[in-house]
Amino acid sequence: MSSLFPRPSRRAVLTLALATPFISRAHAQPALTDALGRGVALKAPAERIVLGFNYEEFTAIAGPEGWNRVVGFSRTLWSDWRPSVFRRYLKPIPRLADLPDIGNTEDGTFSLERVLSLRPDLVILPEWSFTVLKDQVRQLEALGIPVLVIDYNAEIPERHVASTRAIGRATGNEDRAQTLARLYTDKLADIRARAKAAGTAPKVYLELGQGGPGVIGNTYWQSMWGRLFDLIGADNIAANHIAGGWGPLNPEYVLAADPDAIFIAGSSWVNKPAAVLTGFDADLATTRARLAPYARRQGWPELKAIRSGRLFAIEHGLSRALFDYTASYFIAKQLYPVQFTDIDPVAELRLYHERFLPVTFEGTWMARLTQDAA
Amino acid sequence: MNGAAAWRRANRRHALIILAGGAALGTSFAADLATGPAMLPIPSVLRALSGLSDDTMLRAIVLTLRLPIALMAIAVGAALGVSGAVMQTILHNPLASSYTLGISAGAGFGAALVITIGAALPLPEAWAIPIAAFAFAGLACALVAGVGRMRGATPELLVLAGIACLFLFQSLLSLLQFIASPEALPQIVFWLFGSLQRASLSKAAIVTAMLVALSPVLMADAWRLTALRLGDERARALGVRVERLRLRAFVVVSLLTGAAVAFVGTIGFVGLVAPHIARMLVGEDQRLLLPASAMFGAVLLSVASVASKLILPGTVFPIGIITALIGVPFFAWLVLATGRGR
Repeated sequence: MSSLFPRPSRRAVLTLALATPFISRAHAQPALTDALGRGVALKAPAERIVLGFNYEEFTAIAGPEGWNRVVGFSRTLWSDWRPSVFRRYLKPIPRLADLPDIGNTEDGTFSLERVLSLRPDLVILPEWSFTVLKDQVRQLEALGIPVLVIDYNAEIPERHVASTRAIGRATGNEDRAQTLARLYTDKLADIRARAKAAGTAPKVYLELGQGGPGVIGNTYWQSMWGRLFDLIGADNIAANHIAGGWGPLNPEYVLAADPDAIFIAGSSWVNKPAAVLTGFDADLATTRARLAPYARRQGWPELKAIRSGRLFAIEHGLSRALFDYTASYFIAKQLYPVQFTDIDPVAELRLYHERFLPVTFEGTWMARLTQDAA
Repeated sequence: MNGAAAWRRANRRHALIILAGGAALGTSFAADLATGPAMLPIPSVLRALSGLSDDTMLRAIVLTLRLPIALMAIAVGAALGVSGAVMQTILHNPLASSYTLGISAGAGFGAALVITIGAALPLPEAWAIPIAAFAFAGLACALVAGVGRMRGATPELLVLAGIACLFLFQSLLSLLQFIASPEALPQIVFWLFGSLQRASLSKAAIVTAMLVALSPVLMADAWRLTALRLGDERARALGVRVERLRLRAFVVVSLLTGAAVAFVGTIGFVGLVAPHIARMLVGEDQRLLLPASAMFGAVLLSVASVASKLILPGTVFPIGIITALIGVPFFAWLVLATGRGR
């Protein structure tokens, strides 16, 4: 009898008792889930990461030293899309200068072979790349390389938080990620509470200022700026008037809609002589000089927004970032000035840089065309 | 110089040209396997190919990424080359290719439709896109052939029906691009650019199977097609039923083009230029011209595949852009060189 069912030895019982808390803790700890709620099999912080986008978010969460874990990235999305920003980060993260480029899905240069040759143990992709790389993701997963999806573009607060936590966990920076996620959540709650207290829904229009006033730039709905407007209860005139998430509006419709405030999204684009310049290298005078011709567009001098001096420039990079709450503060302050008198959006952005980023904040990121509030 | 000696000399020359083409194809295929953004040393590539390597990453790069692309380049290039040759013959038009009659526009629309509808389909996208592309290429072909059957398959009528078909599918495609979501739009654009990156061994096998199955049908008509080059009247006098031949050949090359384009997107130029290169080198006899067009189509696309990896080491250029960049100078040189000889 005893030989058939051996009594557990005292030692075995002890081992089991000691092990139980560890087992239950391991079970209680949720598996790493990404922005899309996918489970990602990653046992320890990744050592060889291929990073597809959201480099400033990655830097804020993992710090400049976090880049030592990165073996490849989509270079042009940073070096060409935000050249002045990229140059700033080269100093604290010299590794960026010759970090291998994996191409990107935006111009069809993404190379799976390049990714595999870097022998990554984790591939982090933005949602908009992930959706077009179904075959490649399948091949990566077949080779046992986990793919983690982040999504700041959707401007869905839960995805901001999930993306931030996932990067934190994947790089072993969970505490910092937690701090950032909480900061974002708290700030957003503050903005929404104040905006709600205003009880109005002003009409807003945002246009990408890449081509200058002679070009009808894209406007946004459902994601990026469009979602930011929704979050603060503004009435986006583009809603239901563009086919997809972005596209140009009919200029006649803009005149008919007569928005209360107009925002032109600028950036540090190169070779765009008429573009509205914003960012680290833009001084206020330049930004305003590039913004001014918009107020003289056909029919625009008659618009409520222009007559009341509510034409603004805002850095486009703030439309899909962990620090985009600073843009929300800026937009909301223009729409509901009474509720936001004590808020300085630029100071918020400066503070974020001081606390979380290895570069010094300067330049013009958000500005009003006219000198002061009318 | 008597006729028999001249014939033997021409035969020897053609054999040499075919040999040279075959050697070029073999070299290009090897180069296609040896190059890539991973910059693998050649011994590693050979080890992976011979199955001696235990390195899963190395095997994945060589066997699941490079090999299908290298094979696909050859199969698709051959299919487009032979299709172009037949199109130019049956339409009496040196500018014709498998694109002229709206077949690739149909394929493009089919692919874009699936990309736009996306997840609503029961099939995985990797197969739904080629199936839809092939189906709409077939529909475009049926529209043109239907007009041809009703009103007599003269080259003029086929070209008119084809152009109408081309514009129809192009405007439908523009409509899809207009309403497509931001995620779907770049996918459509890159599909239209054409890319070998979507290749897999099974896809390469399907294109090869189509080529193997349909080539005998075309080769059986080779002498009739040669007769057709003399003009409809003379071909008729030689006993060729011109309109039936034209429709039959059109349907066969449409299937071939549809299959090729369905997997790699619209890669232009190969179908236009490969037959001209072949014609300059081996002449009008379709028994030689068709295989030679297939071979030069394969060489052209294979070389383009290598070049697309070498132009900017580390990134892969869309091959649709490369084919013309490589083909045009070579073509111009050939035109000038052969022109001077005459």
